[in-house]
Amino acid sequence: MTESWGQFKSFEGKKFKALDSEFTAKVSKLIGGEDLTACFQCAKCSAGCPVSDKVNIQIHEVMRMLVFGLKEVLQTDMVWLCTTCYTCQERCPQGIDITDILFGLKNMAYKRGITPSGYVTSAKALYDIGKLYSPTEWEREDLGLDDVPELDVSETKKMLDKTKLLKLQEGM
Amino acid sequence: MTQSYEVFLGCAIPSRFNNYESSMRVVAKELGIELIDFDGASCCGTVVLKSIDEHSWLSMSGRNLALAEQRGHDIVTPCNGCFGSLKDTAHVLHDKKQRKAVNKVLSSLGLEYTGKVKIRHFAEVLYDLKDEIAKKIVKPLDGLKVAFHPGCHLIRPSNVAGFDDPELPNKVDELLELTGAKSVPWGLKLKCCGSPLLIASEDVATEILREKMKSAKEAGANCVVTNCPACHTQFDVQAIGLKDENDESLELPALFITQILGAAMGLDSEQIGFELNRVSLDPINDILGL
Repeated sequence: MTESWGQFKSFEGKKFKALDSEFTAKVSKLIGGEDLTACFQCAKCSAGCPVSDKVNIQIHEVMRMLVFGLKEVLQTDMVWLCTTCYTCQERCPQGIDITDILFGLKNMAYKRGITPSGYVTSAKALYDIGKLYSPTEWEREDLGLDDVPELDVSETKKMLDKTKLLKLQEGM
Repeated sequence: MTQSYEVFLGCAIPSRFNNYESSMRVVAKELGIELIDFDGASCCGTVVLKSIDEHSWLSMSGRNLALAEQRGHDIVTPCNGCFGSLKDTAHVLHDKKQRKAVNKVLSSLGLEYTGKVKIRHFAEVLYDLKDEIAKKIVKPLDGLKVAFHPGCHLIRPSNVAGFDDPELPNKVDELLELTGAKSVPWGLKLKCCGSPLLIASEDVATEILREKMKSAKEAGANCVVTNCPACHTQFDVQAIGLKDENDESLELPALFITQILGAAMGLDSEQIGFELNRVSLDPINDILGL
């Protein structure tokens, strides 16, 4: 099965129709996006990135694509292979919140169904039990730990209904 | 003065690393830190929900903050993921527009987040008590050569985490060395463990882990130490059976900071929970007094 994400693998032979300044503006409005266009391509972000040698499209290339308004960026593997380590953001000489921008791109990609399937499963778990995993009771008993305090799931469900967590991919 | 916090455990610790919670609790008790149960805690939101939808993440995380705030307590967490998520939420919610949007969701639960609650990592709390800890070391761990892995979200982004130097962190190393252990410098110490990629690509996550373990071994470490259950999943679960290109094992005993401190403080070894460590502790049994 072809993965729904990471399908933009190379710039080789690619032709881009138009530069979409509206897309750049939209990304600039994401959390952390305000300084996006200050990127001057020093590539210090890629120099410290733990997956630079493992991705097809590196993080400084993602930044260039964003400034150029290339929506194809959502199809790059860098979006979902970012470990969220924040090294690029910490070191950016222009003070761009690079990692935070990537989170916003993940949100955009997720809505379009461009996502590793584990995220869809996790969204369901977070909705159903308000957590990612349940306690391992026998370990807790062995160690004499009290039960983990109860969570009233109807509360988190109510919130996630309001934020439409399970409907984000509708109409994709 | 007794310090008191609501303890935010998150999902991974009660699921996979109850020995981290147990060892944290015995160390806290010995140091007079009061840990109050966090009633009604949900998932912190973590990078998982933040990746899916930031508004849902801010709401989920904001609800936890608002609960502690309503009860008038500060939060301590032993998990880098929860620490990062909760602190990052507080950071984003400085923005009035974002805060208004989240409070609109929280109001349906009768809650409001105002920004008063403080969030600390358990390592920070321990660091503040390092002089007391030094006085309580009764079983020095001479010969323990620790590859300490601080993890990302404890120190980065530094304007949010606000704990240690993001490029040359040393505070937890200082704590560990109080026990007589040596924190060895290792080339890939600050590199991400790869754990967040287990959901997207286990292959890439494992490749990163392999690089990390090689680096730790090359530095002469005889154990890896973390302060985060997500990172620990790599070192104490995913690393099992991991080999280098010459078919040499890349496993190293993996311990939590609280297990090291607890052992050196002579606390109950059952509660320190060594029984639940998955990678064999045999190579360091003698040092740990097991």
